[in-house]
Amino acid sequence: MTNQILITGMGIVTGLGIGKQETLNALRQKRSAVGKLKYLQTIHDEFPTAEVPLSNNDMYRLLQIDENEVYPRTALLGRIALKEALEEAQINEKRPKRIAFISGTTVGGMDKSEQYYIDFLTNDTKNTYIEAHDCGATTDLIAKQYNGKFDVMTTISTACSSAANAIILGANLIKTGRVDAAVVGGSESLSKFHFNGFNTLMILDKEPCRPFDETRSGLNLGEGAAFVVIESEQSAKKRNVMPLCELTGYANTCDAFHQTATSPEGEGAYLAMKKALIKSNLEAKDIDYINAHGTGTPNNDETEGAAIMRVFNENIPPISSIKAFTGHTTSAAGSVESVISILSIQYNFIPVNLNFSRKMESVSFTPATEMKTEKELKHVLTNSFGFGGNDSACIFSKIESR
Amino acid sequence: MKIYIQAAAHISNQEPYSDKWFDTPIVYNQRYIRSIEPDYTEFIAPTQARRMGKILKRALATALKTIQETGVENPEAIITGTGLGCIENTEKFLTAMIHNDEKFLPPTFFMQSTHNTISSLIAVHLKCHGYNSTYSHRGTSFDSALLDAFVQFQLGEIETAMVNGHDELTPDYFNMLEKIDYWKQGEVNETILRKADSQGSFAGECSISLMLGNTLSEKTLCQFRDIEMFYKPDEQQFGKILERFLNRNQLEMNDIDAVVVGINGDKENDEIYQNFGETFFDKNPLIWYKHIFGESYTVSGIGVYVAATILQRKTIPKHLLYKAGTKTEQIRNILVYNHFQNKDHSLILLSAC
Repeated sequence: MTNQILITGMGIVTGLGIGKQETLNALRQKRSAVGKLKYLQTIHDEFPTAEVPLSNNDMYRLLQIDENEVYPRTALLGRIALKEALEEAQINEKRPKRIAFISGTTVGGMDKSEQYYIDFLTNDTKNTYIEAHDCGATTDLIAKQYNGKFDVMTTISTACSSAANAIILGANLIKTGRVDAAVVGGSESLSKFHFNGFNTLMILDKEPCRPFDETRSGLNLGEGAAFVVIESEQSAKKRNVMPLCELTGYANTCDAFHQTATSPEGEGAYLAMKKALIKSNLEAKDIDYINAHGTGTPNNDETEGAAIMRVFNENIPPISSIKAFTGHTTSAAGSVESVISILSIQYNFIPVNLNFSRKMESVSFTPATEMKTEKELKHVLTNSFGFGGNDSACIFSKIESR
Repeated sequence: MKIYIQAAAHISNQEPYSDKWFDTPIVYNQRYIRSIEPDYTEFIAPTQARRMGKILKRALATALKTIQETGVENPEAIITGTGLGCIENTEKFLTAMIHNDEKFLPPTFFMQSTHNTISSLIAVHLKCHGYNSTYSHRGTSFDSALLDAFVQFQLGEIETAMVNGHDELTPDYFNMLEKIDYWKQGEVNETILRKADSQGSFAGECSISLMLGNTLSEKTLCQFRDIEMFYKPDEQQFGKILERFLNRNQLEMNDIDAVVVGINGDKENDEIYQNFGETFFDKNPLIWYKHIFGESYTVSGIGVYVAATILQRKTIPKHLLYKAGTKTEQIRNILVYNHFQNKDHSLILLSAC
């Protein structure tokens, strides 16, 4: 059994670009990826969206995948992020003894299934895509080029908290000594299916989203993938790799209120943050920055705000949502925002909450609009909430900060 | 720390909630059998049931059945494995979207299409604010859910957990999987499945709910001792993993009174069990269950339930015996071995109380 869980590598792709450097640059330049749809074919193209600026063909070329191979967009995005994470953690050169791969997705191969569904049922021209439909198939494809490298693989699907829950399972597998390291996170491409789904719920904003703003009226969808390599202290030492930070706390709870709405007092969100703090042996006042879920929907920000006030009382640290940068990357959001939280610790800055103008009446705080920090970021809490009340929170800490 | 399977409830092609299949299974000859629906009014109000798809009704009913059996009204974790999630609602939303050209879509089918709808529905119903998660990893979705629960017990995070496996199979999805050789052609029976000289199995649906806890009661089915998941092992690696797994539980293969395997009549699938079986558990009785319950992504949950029932009843019914072993002692320890397409593999160890 081990106690310390270290982060030794990470990879990311979102509308902000490929890799940590492009992500960091965009965050520092306050450059949002939300804009007009280019690749997804839908009649609802009036909604601003944050697409990854690459076509599927671009990604096939980038990853040197044979054009005859079947890869849904979620798998392509996942491969890009996985490659960067494994490189930084030097997994290929210095393999940990036992390593897991845990990926979160909900869309899976739906972008292709929705295109070829009629073909699936009426002719035999697109049958190769059938096997790629389900979530688990996507995980297989993401890891395919590392055939046999991972000792255990699985897929989590808890909607918009999927990637955060992958981090939690990975940490538990390491703590019980089942694996020495785990590559954890999630991947999600846009699909017409969930674009329309979110539209029927009337939670998409026709303007760029405004998290924690009184005028907010919905979210913008995004897409992306991110993976972090988490590892036991012993394994990182043995492999002689430099840890980026430590995963000190995490929790998964359920709001148990409604399928697509959150309870007014934000019970699930409250419990997730509270339990993550307990696990990390930290107090609310120790948290230097909250990377909020902050989708920009009236419902989420209201209840998340209420929950934050309950947990932090008068010790509310700087808070921001980066959804106005990347859009809501749904199943990937938990790891996308974990990577961004880790970057904020590494480079000591607060990713700002874009598009803020008017304070919410129901909360005591205003989101951070300045990158400058008053004190060094040592402990960052990131929230990840999903449909069905699947609420998770993770706390990342600067090494030697405990 | 000991973990027990305190209760199990299923809705499948066999009589709902019942273990009649143990003595007199219903035998089918068709290659696509949907589950026998129970009278849901025992657990779900008709007004509520009308708004729920098949998989959700089955999930809630099996969950409430295990709660009724155990009295555990607030499990500390609710974890579900599902290969396809709420595929019926997914198809409804998808076809409406295609046929109506993305217009006039009702939100309900979308709201109830995501995989995590199942675990969250149960949590909303029970007002469970504890750990809640969903695994969707093909043929080891249920196994993943079980692993998650196991490590949380080990870490002392929980003392009770509800672990579920749910998959519905719509006619359209059956047809789609038919195109990629998931199913046998024509009539299916035990002889054909045993022969396993062609691709495909026969299709079932799976709903299973297990209540796990660290206390023993009169109703407890068995002890859940360990689980291991691993990826694409060759023979040597499999041997090492099996040995390590048994060692850490102070057992050797000779102590295993039966191995429950996922033999389903598909040539490639069954060869893996046959090959590893000949090398590593040649003397142990082999038990199969998919010839009764059919194939589905989460049917490995039924495999665990079958093993647990055998441990409780302390005998192996003849119709479940794929191959007799050389040892005929009492039934103390059962190993459940599952793999999917020779990629993801799992070993689950259960022992009599």
